[in-house]
Amino acid sequence: MDDTTVYRTTAWSAGPGCHGGCGQKLHVKNGKLVRIEGDENHPWNQGRSCPRVLAMTQYMYHPDRITRPLKRVGARGEGKFEPISWDEAYDTCEKRLNEIKRKYGAESAIFVQGTGRDIGGPITMLAYSYGSPNWVQLGLSGHSCYTPRLGAMKTVMGDFAVADCSQYLERRYEDPQWKVPEIIITWGQNSTMGCPDGFFGSWVVDCMKLGTRIIAVEPRNTWLSSRALHHLQLRPGTDGALALAMINVIIGEGLYDKEFVAKWVQGFDALRERAAQYPLDEVAKITEIPAQEIAAAARAFARAKQAAVQWGVPVDMCPDGTAVAHAITCLSVITGNIDKPGGQVIARPSHGVTSYPFSTEELVKLYGADLIARLNEKRIGADVYPMVKNFRGWAQPDMVIDQVESGVPYPVKAAWIQTANVVGGQSARAKFHLEALKKLEFIAVVDLFHNPTTMALADIILPAATFPEKDSIRSWWAPLISIKKRVQVGECKSDWEINFELAKRFNPEGMKRWKTLEDMFNERLAPSKMTVADLQQQGGFKMPEDGPFKPYFRHERGLLRPDGKPGFNTKSGKIEVYCDTFEGWGMDPLPFYTEPPQSERSTPELFKKYPLVMITGARSQLFFHAEHRQIPWLREKLPDPTVEIHPETAKKYAIYDGEWVYLENDMGRVKRKAKFSLQVKRHHVHTMHGWWMPEMEGKAPSLYGVGDFQINNIIPGPQCAKSGFGGGQYKTTLCTLAKISA
Amino acid sequence: MTRYGMVIDVDRCTGCFNCFLACRDEHAGNDHRPVSAAQPAGHSWIKVQELERGSFPKVKVSYVPVPCLQCTDAPCMRAATGGAMARRADGIVIIDPDKAIGQRDIVSACPYGAVFWNDVENLPQKCTFCAHLLDDGWTEPRCVEACPVQALVFGDLEDPTSDVARLIAQKPVEALAPVPAEPPPVRYLGLPTRFVAGEIVLGDGSEECAEGVSVSLRKGQQTFTISTDNYGDFEFLGLEADTEYVLSIEHAGYERFELHWNSSADPNIGTIVIERAG
Ligand code: SF4
Ligand code: SF4
Ligand code: SF4
Repeated sequence: MDDTTVYRTTAWSAGPGCHGGCGQKLHVKNGKLVRIEGDENHPWNQGRSCPRVLAMTQYMYHPDRITRPLKRVGARGEGKFEPISWDEAYDTCEKRLNEIKRKYGAESAIFVQGTGRDIGGPITMLAYSYGSPNWVQLGLSGHSCYTPRLGAMKTVMGDFAVADCSQYLERRYEDPQWKVPEIIITWGQNSTMGCPDGFFGSWVVDCMKLGTRIIAVEPRNTWLSSRALHHLQLRPGTDGALALAMINVIIGEGLYDKEFVAKWVQGFDALRERAAQYPLDEVAKITEIPAQEIAAAARAFARAKQAAVQWGVPVDMCPDGTAVAHAITCLSVITGNIDKPGGQVIARPSHGVTSYPFSTEELVKLYGADLIARLNEKRIGADVYPMVKNFRGWAQPDMVIDQVESGVPYPVKAAWIQTANVVGGQSARAKFHLEALKKLEFIAVVDLFHNPTTMALADIILPAATFPEKDSIRSWWAPLISIKKRVQVGECKSDWEINFELAKRFNPEGMKRWKTLEDMFNERLAPSKMTVADLQQQGGFKMPEDGPFKPYFRHERGLLRPDGKPGFNTKSGKIEVYCDTFEGWGMDPLPFYTEPPQSERSTPELFKKYPLVMITGARSQLFFHAEHRQIPWLREKLPDPTVEIHPETAKKYAIYDGEWVYLENDMGRVKRKAKFSLQVKRHHVHTMHGWWMPEMEGKAPSLYGVGDFQINNIIPGPQCAKSGFGGGQYKTTLCTLAKISA
Repeated sequence: MTRYGMVIDVDRCTGCFNCFLACRDEHAGNDHRPVSAAQPAGHSWIKVQELERGSFPKVKVSYVPVPCLQCTDAPCMRAATGGAMARRADGIVIIDPDKAIGQRDIVSACPYGAVFWNDVENLPQKCTFCAHLLDDGWTEPRCVEACPVQALVFGDLEDPTSDVARLIAQKPVEALAPVPAEPPPVRYLGLPTRFVAGEIVLGDGSEECAEGVSVSLRKGQQTFTISTDNYGDFEFLGLEADTEYVLSIEHAGYERFELHWNSSADPNIGTIVIERAG
């Protein structure tokens, strides 16, 4: 390997597909990536990687990868595409989107992304340069992924917070400032199976090795729950009741942090009264967890000197996900764990730099208050839902697709879809999405492989780059990172490059101050007083120094508020567990519980017909959401979409292990292979999401088997959160099992 | 003289498949003769087996990675003919990719399913401890390097200061079943065993967990006694297979509870409510 050069960069986006953050060593030979390994010098992952990174060479040089821009030459769904030049591709996008703007207004084009990758930055730049307010995770019912949690934290605490696994300290576990969390609650988060939301999953295992005990809030039995101090095996969707019952125990038994509460918490008595409405016995019935187990877990969490919560997307997918996130936040607050070593530390984008806007504040900083206010006028859902209006800049996904269908109050005519497989991925009522989107006049898709979305809908396809093929910056918590391009595959370009070019065409005036993408990155990096070149010189990353962007106890030191006074970044300077801001927006100022819209309790008749609670979306390290099914090394270990069924349940339905069956409800049926498993309770089934079959026919109507295998065909919409954020029914839909008769 | 070995800490393994992928990346399309030919699709030179034990509400999920154990007395070697297999001085058991052509018996001779058949090359193949890398100066194989939780510990068994030798000296390491007479160089920590676990609740409506209740497990003449923890939970690990056990619970002022079962299956115990005596 003498002629091989090793480069260091950071993973984010296409490739592993995840939310990124790990340092990787790229072994490059003759311009080609030949091997990739975790970078032992990088504090985030300390030399580690994951199966999807280890399979990068297969992903990047896959024979099916799209490496040139394509235009559709047959009818939509016929699967006929022809390669074109980048110029023609850009010209077409520019011309068609400008026509739509002239005819219907810029708001008639929607800008669609999927999971938390390096898309939020480039796609907002493009949408706002074009003039559309409709940036959306289309199909993700209730925007039930992270936004509800972010919204609740920001509103209640004035900041975001994360479980402290020493990730802010360059020396990590060896830094004496850090303390091992005595308890980590993994709340709806199977940490060993992935790295979501700017959190490296193995950090939890690292902490366990150092003595952390786990409280697993999780309906399934997992590796983590098997090793937990307490496994709170709740009924899916009842997380809000559980959190409130725990608050009630902690306050009722006087186990809360009295000093912290007196000094830093507003509305504690109101919270006490609210939580008292959730007595243990009642909540035990709601959640199906024994009362003494809930009480014991609450006590263990409260008695720990320092304790943290590492939570996941099921929180957002509860009905009223924002309220559930509010309740769980209160647990950390009343136990005084905020910004404390080994607790829940305030998390801010590193050095005050924005790479992926998480809040309205950041959008305003990047694009100006005027523009953001103007965008609110036509943004779909902003006039209906208080959180949609007041937090971040998303359009409301369930309303967007309804509007695509109805054309009311204004028509939607075009979509820019950026590495999001809407048809095969996140869309609840997936078939409805497919049919509605077919009506659009123009659809451009940026992606790396053909998938059900490109096949069914794309007029133009732009080939995106993987992370070793791109330049970018990243400030998702810490450290501050520059991602550096080391190889080129075909004619692929990064999402940033593609959007930068088009944004310049749509808004030459506003974009003219940046000649190159790097100019713009450097401007965005300004709060750090570093440039891309500086960061590269330092090895590609820089940890924040003591100050507003690094823990601990910043509220005591006056580092959180713009006025420099001690306190939190809220109006009162305290953490508002009784949240005036929510109240001002017409929402409940206190956390509350809502029963899932389908359940034994809320729909007993439906439950008789469909007595199984279908949990979808548990993760595997092999696939990220709807990706990687065409990567042989990964697919080999998980070749078929399975449904985990408790053996006794399977017996009742006369299903044998390995049999192909239907999961069925009033919306239709989806094929799965039965896998007997003790990991699910008797009246639950679990199945993974994101399944389509790259090896099947791509042309419509097959669309890679999406009609048979897309589980979201039988997940209903619309969302069910009063705030507009939360409540996708991905984990609580009722179903039954049926044999496939020959 | 170096003798390579590995300790696999099952308690740490989260089933992430990094080891499998790293092995694939090292060997797929890469011929490392004389120690190995390229690894084809379908081979798992390190298998990650998922195991589920127990019953609601005490279910345990574990993952057991199984590479070639480099057996000290290797049945595969006895099945090989014509010098197709050899043990190196460092203990690594090697299938010669040229001499082993056609020798399917090597696959069936391995009691751990560690040898895989290559249909195209007509060749049995397996883990080599990445001998080509060790010979090149590496200190550990690819799978060990890739494990994110250090469940795989590799080193020189002869060097008492190596991590692997220290683990073997200090921890209750075991051999994978079927257990051979001579312990193999690859050994395990925390292999899943049958267990019995439950939680005890006092049947008088009080909400407190039944802490400090005495729980005994009897097997023939042997009795083990423990007390429930402050959550009322108890757990006995390491039960022997196919054995008669008696579980009894005694608590002053409460009725005695007794359960008999055979450990060929995990007993369904769950929550035990003990009632006030009298
Ligand atoms: S594990 Fe199997 S292949 Fe490896 S040495 Fe032992 S018998 Fe041979
Ligand atoms: S030691 Fe090498 S050959 Fe053996 S399983 Fe690990 S990576 Fe594969
Ligand atoms: S890499 Fe480590 S944790 Fe992952 S499956 Fe292999 S042994 Fe287990």
